[in-house]
Amino acid sequence: MFFQPRHVDEALEIRGRMGSDVTPLGGGTDIVVTINKTSMRPKHFLDLTHLPDYTHVVRDNGNWVLSAGATFSQLGKLPMKALAAAAMTVGGAAIRNTGTIAGNLGTASPAGDGCVALMAIDAEVELTHATRGRRTIPIHEYFTGFRRTALLADELITGVRLRTDWRTAWYKIGKRGSINISLVCAAFGMSPEGGVRMAYGCVAPIVMRTRLAEEIIEKDGLTDAAIEAAAQSVMKEVAPIDDHRASANYRRAMCGVLARRLLRELRIKNTG
Amino acid sequence: MHTNGTSWRLQCTINGQPIDTEVEQDETLLFFLRDRLGLTGTKGSCLEGECGSCTVIVDGQAVNSCLVLCPQMQGRTVETIEGLANGDKLHVLQEKFLASGAAQCGYCTPGLIMAAKALLDENPNPSEQQFFEGMEGNICRCTGYAAICEAIRSAAREWK
Repeated sequence: MFFQPRHVDEALEIRGRMGSDVTPLGGGTDIVVTINKTSMRPKHFLDLTHLPDYTHVVRDNGNWVLSAGATFSQLGKLPMKALAAAAMTVGGAAIRNTGTIAGNLGTASPAGDGCVALMAIDAEVELTHATRGRRTIPIHEYFTGFRRTALLADELITGVRLRTDWRTAWYKIGKRGSINISLVCAAFGMSPEGGVRMAYGCVAPIVMRTRLAEEIIEKDGLTDAAIEAAAQSVMKEVAPIDDHRASANYRRAMCGVLARRLLRELRIKNTG
Repeated sequence: MHTNGTSWRLQCTINGQPIDTEVEQDETLLFFLRDRLGLTGTKGSCLEGECGSCTVIVDGQAVNSCLVLCPQMQGRTVETIEGLANGDKLHVLQEKFLASGAAQCGYCTPGLIMAAKALLDENPNPSEQQFFEGMEGNICRCTGYAAICEAIRSAAREWK
């Protein structure tokens, strides 16, 4: 069956009833690749792309509220540097026009550029069930293992909230600027209260934060010595693997380079 | 709204023509266009969103038709390369691709032209960065890109 609900309540009811038997479908840029390349065929689809307000991005009380279907093209226009820059490195224009933030979170790849950016700004993920209602969980509790998340089989990702007042920085190392899976990517954020987040993609089974390095900067500030200590800590904290795109040693070294580069960027720039 | 079994009654608009037909729920727009409607201008190559040869325009936006399932097109408006010319009168992008010699084997050309149309429809005067952001999803493996960029820029100068 192919379900194409016109109201979110209907979508939640179908998901609540069918659970993992139904495959939620947004832009399709992950799921349809699997259909094209393998014999895997979802039996039942839950097409979310005809829901009202599915792609809304609104500002609410010091937060950006992204609807599940907000596309990378839309995120690329946000004045939140790390998220916008991450979004613009995803695919090409046609992928960015259809790929969604909920899809990035649902696929939960350790190379998910959007997920890394959200991790750097303490985003919150809204997970909704037909009758239990909505729960909001911090992004750092959302990823639970390789392509595993806190999303339950009878829930849908309905939105993402993030604050508007963090300073952020982003860099992606890859062979090209886009249409290109990261070898390593990093997004860093600083809250107005002085909280520091250093998030990395492609260096562990899940998108991760280097918490010991964060603590060094939170304690000592963005001094040269603290930045170097944080970079050294990052290289110990990450757990990259060798694969066809890069070696573990290269990735580990680049994590240190990105720590220095992005922390210095946060020190120089007062906005963004 | 849902299917009976795995087929779906698709109602949408393709190149200005109303479509009302049965499709399979996991059939992609690319193969629907090519195999059911005979619109073989739209090409398929990588089938994973990296090459851009399948680019069409859906509700004004460039989309990889290989990554869209037909039922998702319900109520949508699709434009393909076949819809660009007006009778024998070529679209300005088609004219400029010819004039600039922007094709060799031609396999990527329909996708490039549709991506360029989506880009210029949204912004007829793109900056260098916007130009590359709009076109970076379309790969050519034989001409090199200089003639392609020249064709698109000269079309932009005459964009209406």
